[in-house]
Amino acid sequence: MIEKATLFFASWELFREAALSGAIAGFMLGLLGVYVVLRRMVFLSAALSQTAGLGVATAFLLAAWGTPAWIASPTLGAVAASLLTVYLLTRGNDRHVSRDSLLGAAFLLGSAGTIAIGSRIPQELHDVQTLLLGSAVAVSPEGFRLIVVTGIATVIWHAWWWRGFAAVTVDRDDAAVRGLPTRGLAILLLVSIAVAVSVTTRVLGALPAFAFSVIPAVAALRLAPNIPGALTIAAIIGAVGGFGGYFLAYLLDFPVGASQTILCVAMLAVVFAVKR
Amino acid sequence: MSDALLTTSELEVGYGGRAFLPPLNWQVRRGEIWAVIGPNGGGKTTILRTVLGLNSAVGGRVKPSAGLRIGYVPQRETLDSAVPARVCDVVRSGADRGWSFLRPARLVHDHAALERAMDDTDVRRIRTHSYRALSEGQKQRVLMARALVGDPSLLVLDEPTSAMDLTAEGALFELVRQLVEGRDLSVIVVSHHLGVLARYATHALLVDKDEELLLAGSVDEIAASRECVERFGHVLMAARRESA
Repeated sequence: MIEKATLFFASWELFREAALSGAIAGFMLGLLGVYVVLRRMVFLSAALSQTAGLGVATAFLLAAWGTPAWIASPTLGAVAASLLTVYLLTRGNDRHVSRDSLLGAAFLLGSAGTIAIGSRIPQELHDVQTLLLGSAVAVSPEGFRLIVVTGIATVIWHAWWWRGFAAVTVDRDDAAVRGLPTRGLAILLLVSIAVAVSVTTRVLGALPAFAFSVIPAVAALRLAPNIPGALTIAAIIGAVGGFGGYFLAYLLDFPVGASQTILCVAMLAVVFAVKR
Repeated sequence: MSDALLTTSELEVGYGGRAFLPPLNWQVRRGEIWAVIGPNGGGKTTILRTVLGLNSAVGGRVKPSAGLRIGYVPQRETLDSAVPARVCDVVRSGADRGWSFLRPARLVHDHAALERAMDDTDVRRIRTHSYRALSEGQKQRVLMARALVGDPSLLVLDEPTSAMDLTAEGALFELVRQLVEGRDLSVIVVSHHLGVLARYATHALLVDKDEELLLAGSVDEIAASRECVERFGHVLMAARRESA
């Protein structure tokens, strides 16, 4: 085991992009997950990852039909489909239709649409799955750059705007009375979550994207004395889950996405055991 | 009329484009304490939310005075118990107005206001306590401090004492009275507890959507009105006499 661990760091060039992608995605989605959990929208990231898959599948189909590459970009398709989902959720959310129902419909449309369009993509099923949902095992240089740029932009934005995002998450009515642009803040928060989830889904896969955006936040909300503390702790747990999960997967020959998810759950279990 | 903080003109409140009360023409002036009273489900909170801009008006308009700052104390349990926050965090969160959340230095500038709000509501000694571990009375004081940290001229309280016993309730209204005097505040408060309201309020707005009734005036006028006596007997009048 120690030999294998030594070999991992000796061969760092081989694993660097995938391992760091997991850490960056975990940090970014861990932070955003605090808002996801506090707004009771844990299935938002599940729905977004599925609709992102539909966007990627549509891009591949368009490419197969000869559409120019800049239009048929899988990343563009993932982000566009996620943003469209957010738009429909914000437009369609009223007192007659619960947000859960809308998220369920988006999840099902994404899943069924991806399977249906995936059957028309001229690749093997395994390749299609990798193309649609990414692979945490090997991350391309383009995918790594995408994760780095999205991660840095998201963290800087949220470090600057956190008081506004927290205000609309914790007590939207009070924020509105104080004149904060609550609707704009709520939409921008969802947009940042949609972009982060779709990029992570595209590069690493749906399972780690969902895990990073829920589990670290649940643990952090148990530990932290306040929201800035929760944002920081969730980001750190997410980063440890992303990097450590990749490392464990290498050591134990586990699938990477599952290993990252299980490590996050293990950290959550420790937090619950320590802080009952 | 230059001391009017808030004026409503032909304001119609309701849901789905249908007004359920007559148009409201109302003025809240400096130093007044308005009690919004009426039966359960009578439309008190809907009026309050419409005046605050949280619900869309069916018709008419609300005109705040220039630069009016409103402090809002919502109904209890508005803050989710999953939210991690110490008392000082909750109070500080009331400091931002408009786009000020974009200025990191704002936190430093608000320090004096934060201390004053916690002193005025007597929550400084529990400033590091977790908000979710507090009693209902303490929570309401903390929410009051949050509303005060932005230095408002109008304080709006929506059923602030619904989860309190009589002692805590009396203490909270006594705090409101002190704040009105110490901070030159006006207050609008929604509550069911007529006895306590009658002791502290200067004016009352009687609301009953089932009877399409809206009646505004001094507490003495409302207490003596036929509409009030029909609904509440002489409770308001008796409490008024007792406090006098």
